[in-house]
Amino acid sequence: MEEAKLQVKDLRISFHTSNGKVQAVRGVNFDLAKGETLAIVGESGSGKSVTSRAILGILAGNAIVESGEIIYDGKDLLKISEEDFHKIRGDKIAMIFQDPMSSLNPIVRIGKQLTEAMILKGKTRQRESRKAFNEYLKHLNQAMVDAVAKGDSAKAAQITQNCKNFDKFEFKHTELEAAYNTAHEAAVEALEDLEDISFQMEKNAVKDVASIIQDISKRAQASVHEYVVKEKGDRIKSLASALPGQYRKAKRKGDYSQVLPAMYEIRDILKEALAKEAPDYFRMGYYVTFSGKPLPDMPIHELNEYMLDYLNKEFMLGFIADAEKAMEHSAEVAYANMESTIPVLEASLPVFSKEKLDKKECNDTCKKLSAAVKTCIDPLAIVKDSLTYTFASSLKSEIDTYFAAIPKNAKAMRVHQRDQRKHDRLVARGKKPDWEVADAAVTDLELVKHNIAHLIQRLADHYKASLEKRSTRNYEAETVDAIDYLKANASGVVAKVTRRVAKDRAIKLMTEVGIAEPHRRYNQYPFEFSGGMRQRIVIAIALAANPDILICDEPTTALDVTIQSQILELINKLKQQRQLSVIFITHDLGVVANMADRVAVMYAGKIVEYGTAEDVFYHSAHPYTWALLSSMPDLDTNEKLEAIPGTPPNMIYPPKGDAFAPRNKYAMQIDFERQPPMFQISDTHFAATWLLHPDAPKVDPPKAVVDRINRMKLKNQKGGVEDGK
Amino acid sequence: MENNQEVLLRVDHLCQYFKMGPNAVTKAVDDVSFDIKKGEVFGLVGESGCGKTTTGRSIIKLYDITSGSVYFKGIRIAAGTQSYKDAIKKAQEELKEKSKTASPEEAAKLKAETDAFIAEQRKQIKLARNDQKNCDKAYAAQQVKKVEEKYAPLLSAATGDEKEKLTKEYKDELRKAKNTRLVTQIQMIFQDPIASLDPRMTVREIISEGLVIQGERDKKVIDEKVYEMLELVGLVREHASRYPHEFSGGQRQRIGVARSIIMNPDLIIADEPVSALDVSVQAQVINLLNELREKFGLTLLFIAHDLSVVKYFSDRIGVMYYGKMVELADSDELFLNPMHPYTRSLLSAIPLPDPIYEKQRKRIVYNPLAEHDYSKDPPTFRELKPGHFVQCNEAEYQKYMEQLK
Repeated sequence: MEEAKLQVKDLRISFHTSNGKVQAVRGVNFDLAKGETLAIVGESGSGKSVTSRAILGILAGNAIVESGEIIYDGKDLLKISEEDFHKIRGDKIAMIFQDPMSSLNPIVRIGKQLTEAMILKGKTRQRESRKAFNEYLKHLNQAMVDAVAKGDSAKAAQITQNCKNFDKFEFKHTELEAAYNTAHEAAVEALEDLEDISFQMEKNAVKDVASIIQDISKRAQASVHEYVVKEKGDRIKSLASALPGQYRKAKRKGDYSQVLPAMYEIRDILKEALAKEAPDYFRMGYYVTFSGKPLPDMPIHELNEYMLDYLNKEFMLGFIADAEKAMEHSAEVAYANMESTIPVLEASLPVFSKEKLDKKECNDTCKKLSAAVKTCIDPLAIVKDSLTYTFASSLKSEIDTYFAAIPKNAKAMRVHQRDQRKHDRLVARGKKPDWEVADAAVTDLELVKHNIAHLIQRLADHYKASLEKRSTRNYEAETVDAIDYLKANASGVVAKVTRRVAKDRAIKLMTEVGIAEPHRRYNQYPFEFSGGMRQRIVIAIALAANPDILICDEPTTALDVTIQSQILELINKLKQQRQLSVIFITHDLGVVANMADRVAVMYAGKIVEYGTAEDVFYHSAHPYTWALLSSMPDLDTNEKLEAIPGTPPNMIYPPKGDAFAPRNKYAMQIDFERQPPMFQISDTHFAATWLLHPDAPKVDPPKAVVDRINRMKLKNQKGGVEDGK
Repeated sequence: MENNQEVLLRVDHLCQYFKMGPNAVTKAVDDVSFDIKKGEVFGLVGESGCGKTTTGRSIIKLYDITSGSVYFKGIRIAAGTQSYKDAIKKAQEELKEKSKTASPEEAAKLKAETDAFIAEQRKQIKLARNDQKNCDKAYAAQQVKKVEEKYAPLLSAATGDEKEKLTKEYKDELRKAKNTRLVTQIQMIFQDPIASLDPRMTVREIISEGLVIQGERDKKVIDEKVYEMLELVGLVREHASRYPHEFSGGQRQRIGVARSIIMNPDLIIADEPVSALDVSVQAQVINLLNELREKFGLTLLFIAHDLSVVKYFSDRIGVMYYGKMVELADSDELFLNPMHPYTRSLLSAIPLPDPIYEKQRKRIVYNPLAEHDYSKDPPTFRELKPGHFVQCNEAEYQKYMEQLK
């Protein structure tokens, strides 16, 4: 499997309330790969929203993160500062909230709310990209000098010059490409709108489309470019600029046949232009920057070949060879450091296993270990080694937790004893108090110590494993990745977000999420939208920042099927286009079946079943999953629905055994006494229920579930989907 | 409809327009007609903004309808006047047009005809206004008469203490009869269980409010009734003194149900009662509604957008699209033979808990411009086969009939 984009490990979150400590999340583990959708299913109050909010760092003020890690991009999101979180929240990780009314500002126009983030984040993103580009190139340069030049100063100077050249022409490339893309996109959009409007005109069913005609005119004119609309540039310009006037005239007469010829001509020009091949701008960037000659006049594919020859001969082959050596060198250095760090790590274990830890000794060891681990970072690796990156902060925070807990625990014990005395006094007087004494809110020091040891041991094991794998590394492929990484950052620098661009993009997004008449809607206030429309705006806002990870907290619960279906398709499409990772929180199992690659079923703060969508739907193993499946009607359900009796447990007093046991008709004695571990059913499928224990009696899922699975199998065998029937 | 069951509610060419400015009118519901028979569940589906909630609210007289009529138990409870006004206007214009070319005698004849027509329309308007305003009063008068008739012989027969007691009872009944409203026999369950309960009232106050308004003053009777309702919907007596915020979503929706059935309604309009609830709770509420239906023979107008729930729950289903009813059929028939392209598109969008099916499912897009050509022949609501109605024009009618064979 691919390296996980996001890892959540042993997350535990509680809330302080006046009644006691509510344990909302109790040890949740999952990871999310790139381009994957993970659905979290469960009733309200099962902790699914809390988990997602922790990922975004927006937990309520009374929340306590008791333990765990959320690792994203080499950082532990539970431990970074608010300042750093600003760069991630909304930009890299975006969220679609459940209640659209509370996530929109009622006194700001929709358009402003949509573009605000784009404009604000645009500049930051440019800066960040520039920084990342420079830093990476600097590391690469250094590694090249170390690996290739080996003290030869002339060679070193040449390498440095090469890197500077790369910087220079790479930016030329992105500029050229951006100009082409603008023209190309304008052409594509103009063409789409044109076909739409001309279709309506043919049917003589046009509503007021003046603003769209304006757009078409502008876009058609913007599509004039060296490699898009070239020869017919003047023609299209004159046609397009006359179009709005013609449309107004035709509208007055109510006869659109006058406009159609012009529209058809523009359409044909655009179609022809879009059929053309695009030149390779990476090659062109180098040619234009360094050859000092104008581009030779030849067909585009020949031109591409010609430029490639030039680029390879002059620069690229040598540069790639050097870069490859540099990658290898840098990795080797990191490996050597790992080898020397492993004994250091293992030697430090006794320090943290003493009966009582010594503060000074711990802090010194922590510093020493952090410094040693830091040398193991390979600055040229594109996929960051999250364990190494988060080690220092995790270790420090665990040690701090330990020493902060000692006085806290004493206080909590005092409070607990006081309550207990009060309770006992009441009981002694023969009264029956209607409250119970809550367990003392103490931090388990042994557990913290265990966590520290685990952290160190895990890193050491991880290093050993990666040392074993060192021979399988493919430096050639990694070099290509590295150059792609540089290219991506360079295009990030060039892409400017002006107010105009933002508005265009916002209107496009509004169209994409299915809002009719986006031009008019752009200037309206949230209260002028219906519930479904508001939700679409919220989705558009979340997508506007082009995030890496999208968290959807019941985004379609309030929408009707057609819109729901459209929005799910939209999210799926974006997921494929942008390799988006999605966390999808919902209680609608139909939606889960549509969206999810993997499913995690949550109950009372724990994941009770975890597996691929097929595993969970066709081979579900946990009684709670069965209950969920059988409580939902589908199109063939006729019998009485099996509702889940009772309510979820009060998480101030979490049950000792399996939390679902009191509502579970398959519960056994042990369910009330001990919590079930995660049993592994297959490579991808896990469930936490004692029913899977080898000694447990064999239990079949409820009839409703079995029937439905059989029905589904039958239907899928029959040749799949019969649309709308 | 040739079915023998008694028709409880008849909605006849109902239109509900909203003024959105000097010249703009939103036609939220446009010429919708349907019947609901006693004891059945009628499902109304469509996307948000298609007017299904407005239809429900117009029936219960939360809005004054623009035109058309609503009959409940044979009594017209709501009526609009716009169609008559339009007819008058049209007649006047026609008259003007025709009298330009006609000879004086003809013109005079035409004018007389038109005047008669207009007078008829004006009479209709008057009737409609009267019904709209006074249907409840008429009903109350009827009830009062019934009570008087019942007690008159009893009172004259009784003597002494018994007479005093009977007089008191009689007065009580009389007051209640005066306060009865026909429309209270239609009750509504709202979508959002949080927003539809007043946070400052206890559950007892919420549930008993309708009874109190109807003139029930005996605390004991009220309490008994409230407890009975609470137990009926699966809550316990102790809950009566609590406030709504102390309940979970499903329990709140149960309070909403209890509030509506305490009035002994004949028709319940359930406006998306389960959309805001968790799956497990959804099942509880649906089961509850089903039980109540069997117990009291309730009739339900079930408005929802979750088609699997509607299919599971309803006997007949009406599909709405932008204020118009586009298809109406028995629920099995509708899912088996969806004729209107919008219905097909709607059915193709239902997500099912089946990953393999879901990953292949293709949504059918409904584009009214591409599907229909109504420029020459405007569509009407036609019956394809008994009980199955579709909005279509002649050409489409032929096509659909062909498909049905």
